[in-house]
Amino acid sequence: MNDQEFYRISGIENGYRLESRILEERIQKAIAEGHRFLEVHAYGHHGIGGRLWKAGTEPVYVRIQGPPGQRVGSMGFPNTRIEIMGPASDDVGWLNAGAEIVVHGNAANGTANAMAQGKIYVAGNIGARGMTMTKHNPRFNPPELWVLGSAGDYFAEFMAGGIAVICGYNAQDPENVLGYRPCVGMVGGKIFFRGPHKGYSQTDARLSPLTDDDWQWLVDNLKIYLNAIGLPELFDQLADRERWQLLVARTPQEKRSKPRRSMKAFHQEVWDMELGRGGLLGDLLSGDRSQVPVIATGSLRRFVPVWENRKYTAPCQDACPTGIPVHERWRLIREGRIDEAVDLALGYTPFPATVCGYLCPNLCMQGCTRRAANMVPPDISQLGKASIKAKLPDLPPVTGKRVAVIGGGPAGMSVAWQLRRHGHEAVIYDMRDSLGGKISFHIPKSRIPQEVVATEVERIKNAIPHVYLQQRLNGEDLVQLKADYDYIVVAVGTHKPRVIPIPGKERLVPALDFLQESKKDTAKVGKRVVIIGAGNVGCDAATEAHRLGAKEITLIDVQQPLSFGKERKAAEAAGAKFRWPCFSKAVTEEGLELTTGEVIPADTVIISIGDLPDLDFLPESVALERGYIKVNDIYQTTDPQIFAVGDSVKLGLITDAIGAGRKAARAITDIAAGKAVENAKQQRVDYSRVKLEYFDPRLLRFNDIEQCAAQCSSCGTCRDCGICANVCPQAAISRKENSDGSFEMVSDPDMCIGCGFCAGACPCGVWNLVENEPLE
Amino acid sequence: MFANGIITPNTLSVKDLLWQVHWDKERCTLCGRCTAVCPVQAIELGVHRKRLVQAPPVGELGLSNAASPSNLYQVYYGIRQKTDPAYACVGCAMCNLVCPNGSIIPLRSDEANKLKFHINSGGQARRRGGRRNAPDPPQGGVLDRIKFVRISMLTDPALDAGRHEFELRTLLGRILPPEENLRLFREEGWIPPVREIYPLIIGSMSFGALSPTMWEGLQMGVSYLNEELGMPVRICTGEGGCPPRLLRSRFLKYVILQIASGYFGWDEIIHALPEMKEDPCAVEIKYGQGAKPGDGGLLMWYKVNKLIAAIRGVPQGVSLPSPPTHQTKYSIEEAVAKMIQSMYMAWGFRVPVYPKISGTSTALAVLNNLTRNPYAAGLAIDGEDGGTGAAYNVSMDHMGHPIASNLRDCYLNLVKLGQQNEIPLFAGGGVGKNGNLAANAAALIMLGASGVQIGKYIMQAAAGCVGSESDRCNICNIGLCPKGITSQDPRLYRRLDPEKVAERVVDVFLCFDTELKKIVAPLGRSTSLPIGMSDALAINDYNAAERLQIKYVV
Repeated sequence: MNDQEFYRISGIENGYRLESRILEERIQKAIAEGHRFLEVHAYGHHGIGGRLWKAGTEPVYVRIQGPPGQRVGSMGFPNTRIEIMGPASDDVGWLNAGAEIVVHGNAANGTANAMAQGKIYVAGNIGARGMTMTKHNPRFNPPELWVLGSAGDYFAEFMAGGIAVICGYNAQDPENVLGYRPCVGMVGGKIFFRGPHKGYSQTDARLSPLTDDDWQWLVDNLKIYLNAIGLPELFDQLADRERWQLLVARTPQEKRSKPRRSMKAFHQEVWDMELGRGGLLGDLLSGDRSQVPVIATGSLRRFVPVWENRKYTAPCQDACPTGIPVHERWRLIREGRIDEAVDLALGYTPFPATVCGYLCPNLCMQGCTRRAANMVPPDISQLGKASIKAKLPDLPPVTGKRVAVIGGGPAGMSVAWQLRRHGHEAVIYDMRDSLGGKISFHIPKSRIPQEVVATEVERIKNAIPHVYLQQRLNGEDLVQLKADYDYIVVAVGTHKPRVIPIPGKERLVPALDFLQESKKDTAKVGKRVVIIGAGNVGCDAATEAHRLGAKEITLIDVQQPLSFGKERKAAEAAGAKFRWPCFSKAVTEEGLELTTGEVIPADTVIISIGDLPDLDFLPESVALERGYIKVNDIYQTTDPQIFAVGDSVKLGLITDAIGAGRKAARAITDIAAGKAVENAKQQRVDYSRVKLEYFDPRLLRFNDIEQCAAQCSSCGTCRDCGICANVCPQAAISRKENSDGSFEMVSDPDMCIGCGFCAGACPCGVWNLVENEPLE
Repeated sequence: MFANGIITPNTLSVKDLLWQVHWDKERCTLCGRCTAVCPVQAIELGVHRKRLVQAPPVGELGLSNAASPSNLYQVYYGIRQKTDPAYACVGCAMCNLVCPNGSIIPLRSDEANKLKFHINSGGQARRRGGRRNAPDPPQGGVLDRIKFVRISMLTDPALDAGRHEFELRTLLGRILPPEENLRLFREEGWIPPVREIYPLIIGSMSFGALSPTMWEGLQMGVSYLNEELGMPVRICTGEGGCPPRLLRSRFLKYVILQIASGYFGWDEIIHALPEMKEDPCAVEIKYGQGAKPGDGGLLMWYKVNKLIAAIRGVPQGVSLPSPPTHQTKYSIEEAVAKMIQSMYMAWGFRVPVYPKISGTSTALAVLNNLTRNPYAAGLAIDGEDGGTGAAYNVSMDHMGHPIASNLRDCYLNLVKLGQQNEIPLFAGGGVGKNGNLAANAAALIMLGASGVQIGKYIMQAAAGCVGSESDRCNICNIGLCPKGITSQDPRLYRRLDPEKVAERVVDVFLCFDTELKKIVAPLGRSTSLPIGMSDALAINDYNAAERLQIKYVV
């Protein structure tokens, strides 16, 4: 084109530099006036050549002579072609929207920053941050930046599209045509480059093989570029496919999986390699260390269920001084083995009917778990009464050990019976004319049918053939007994009434004497009776006095009376009045005078404040304590050959005496066999382990023993209900039959997760959940 | 409780308990997982009786006896919470985690915690693990409330956290004044060793306090960060020795060995000296712990299994209490003179040695002594919000000094002495306790810390520790950690995969790195960690601003 055709605009007027604003206004005016070829003489003016839209689609050519300022061709339009005849300042083609810009020299920092369309051809090197934040709008062709030399630092930062070509010709840094840290944050576009580089952001970009299409594009456009910058002769030198490389942005999907070594690989290839097989602790831990599930089975369970059948005593048995396993009797009944249930008691007491059925306050029922829920315990007295039919079991042959039992009351008969069951010969000495002690002689007939007592005494007599009645023993006899027998058991009871040293005490009638006489119907009472001592014996005396005709009966005590149960109820039913605290001062013809001066009128005054044993016959080797025989926990006195049980040791219930007899007999058996005495009491099952929610809380009385048996919760003993097997979420529990006919519930460790549901659901409290064995 | 039950002073209802297990009968499938997983057996299967009273319909003559009313009983099973304080739910929610139907969850009581009055059975004061049970107010603790207000808006070249390079490393070791350094260099004198390390340090958690899997996972993660990602992260062993293999590996250089008053495992470390390939990063002498100032470590006998025993060099099954103090050190001077120098000797004066103290109003006294001692490589201060595996509740909740002002006082004192660039301070104790790890760390750094130590945070982030300052879980002391982080029982610690822990450690540090850059970039800092750059800090609490000598903003 002829130079004369250019419309010239100078940045200097009258020797003064025009402001960039004025120069811009003049360029725009020229375009508006129809000029399409402009030559601008720049003196550092900003933004030359951009925004020339007033020319419409007509091409506009802007030639820049002199040093332009920043942002040549910024916001350039597609109709515009700009040629800078020397080097350019910063930000050439900033926000370029289509202009073609040629720089015949180096371009400074920020070349092509934010360019979206158009082309920038640089015939030299560019500064820092070239081709940054460029983008490709799909409506248009991608923008292009061509650089003959090299790029400065931070090239292609945040590049989001477009194509950059770095030819590496006469590069400013021949060792590194891409500058320091290129492609950081690059998300789109391509970079063709020729020459060495010193790395790029691996996270954002990757090298891609040059395809034939890529190469074709490059070759085609390289010609155009070289023509534009006026160096077509370089084509052959630059069109060397081997030296070109292509960088592309990584896709978001690629970026997510950054190429670093997996921890698994690090573990195996680095960690274990340096530390040795098994890692940090391979030398100290030998076992499996693989990951375990949170819910584990087998040895990895933290807790394991244990079927603790019969490990603990049922509360009824525990409460019974005689130690009868009441729950076992109910179990036998549930199993339809009523005879066995009846006979079972004889193993523990010679008086299953007399005591359990009539005389005992039934401590088993008081201890029953059901009471914890205010539920009525199964009525053992029904089963007790049925026990009159109990049959003597077959007795073992005698061992040769002989034991003298002094006293044929409940304690003595219990010990003799138990000794015989263990195979020892027991010989009973009693000073009365028949056996039974207080049961036979003192307890009112109203409380117990005499035929029941007689039947049970007779039953025992069949087992104990040697009974010497009406034998009042003295010290010399004892010496002889010690010589004749291996052991002696003293069970003489109490016979010496305790009296109080007050005037008129000779008028007092001892309660035991009175009861003994009343039982024979030979006792005499007046209309008014005062009984000193309102315990259960006093109550019996009151009841009997009423039976014998007394009208006004008063029981006094120094404290709130300790009487309870049937005795108390009977006395109250007889109209007896209870008074306390009352302290006796004298017994007179009028009655009982109290320390207050009050006289309670009485024809008969009975004293019932306890009795002492008569122990004059005992040798000195047997120590006493406050009038009673001193024994250790196996009922052995201070003379190892002599044992003592019953009231002569400590006043108590009949069941206490029977239980003591049983334990003493067991101790004697162990000692005779040279064994250590088995005296440890089995622990009672914890009430909280038994689940009463299965039972009807509104059941107040039992129609028969079958119903009793059904309502027994069988504490501590499996009742074979199958609930555990069903409640187990893992179906780990099954019932296993043993060859001896017994069964057990078994939990399969390979299925069980140790949840404890079996323990939670077991009505009997048999299942327990315990910590598993520690693992190393 | 039984129908005829009696109450004792310790009889509590569920309402009295801090954590109340809510169970939904409708959704429960009775699978047994919740009771199997509960670490403290707080729940069990209950047998329940349901009573239906069936009244007959009203007939023409009213209620008729002919159609007699009746009772119908049904039994159902359900999950029941125990109320015995010994079995109180700890709120770990493992039940909820394993429940297939989402039918069970512990919820925190909306009422005053009565259990607190009863966790002293037998006169035994409560002990636990975790942090100070004092949740910060909704607006956060002091560290959370510190804002970074000096944003480089055109006043400085704004930096981009993503694209700029940042020098985030810090120095551990005594840095001598340049002239002194040059003099010693010329005279070939001894120059204290200094390490360039990452400013976020995994603080001391002993082998024993942590499970073997957790410990290995942390170490593995730290080694990965060093060797695969080039981040010089360091981890402190805590008191309780160091596994023999680690002592003899190159990974030892990433480890700060701690020596505490119990000296557990130190004979094993000494025996390993001739076989060490690398020096450890540093030695930390523990004088105190923020969670339980005045108490030594305490590893209960049931956690001392064969493994722990081997590493600590003690017999199995004995309790391992550490004295509250180093028994032969009676003064700061003595501690500095004896202990620091002695520890330097172990590695030929090549390894920096620094003390760690619990936050205290007497910290300046310690610091002043250290400034006069060329061997002191730094001072670590552990604030009141630090965690622990086992401590008395009263110590945790009421003893100790907040880290922010303690650290600040120390730093300003160094500034007064002109030695703020010579003795690095390391701050710990509740850093990131509300999840704001980078912000808390940056705040402490700008208040004057050269680096921060974390413990509990990494347990929570790298292993899913569920403990919280709302008194959740916190049973590290009894060896029943449901995540296997602090247990020595293989049944529990094998729940944790060291590899996965290591991966999470890497995640945490990468994320921290990004966030720290996001904080320092807008402040215009990239060439060095902005230690003591307190002009960037502000807080919307006037008194806190005054105390910390930072800006007050509202």
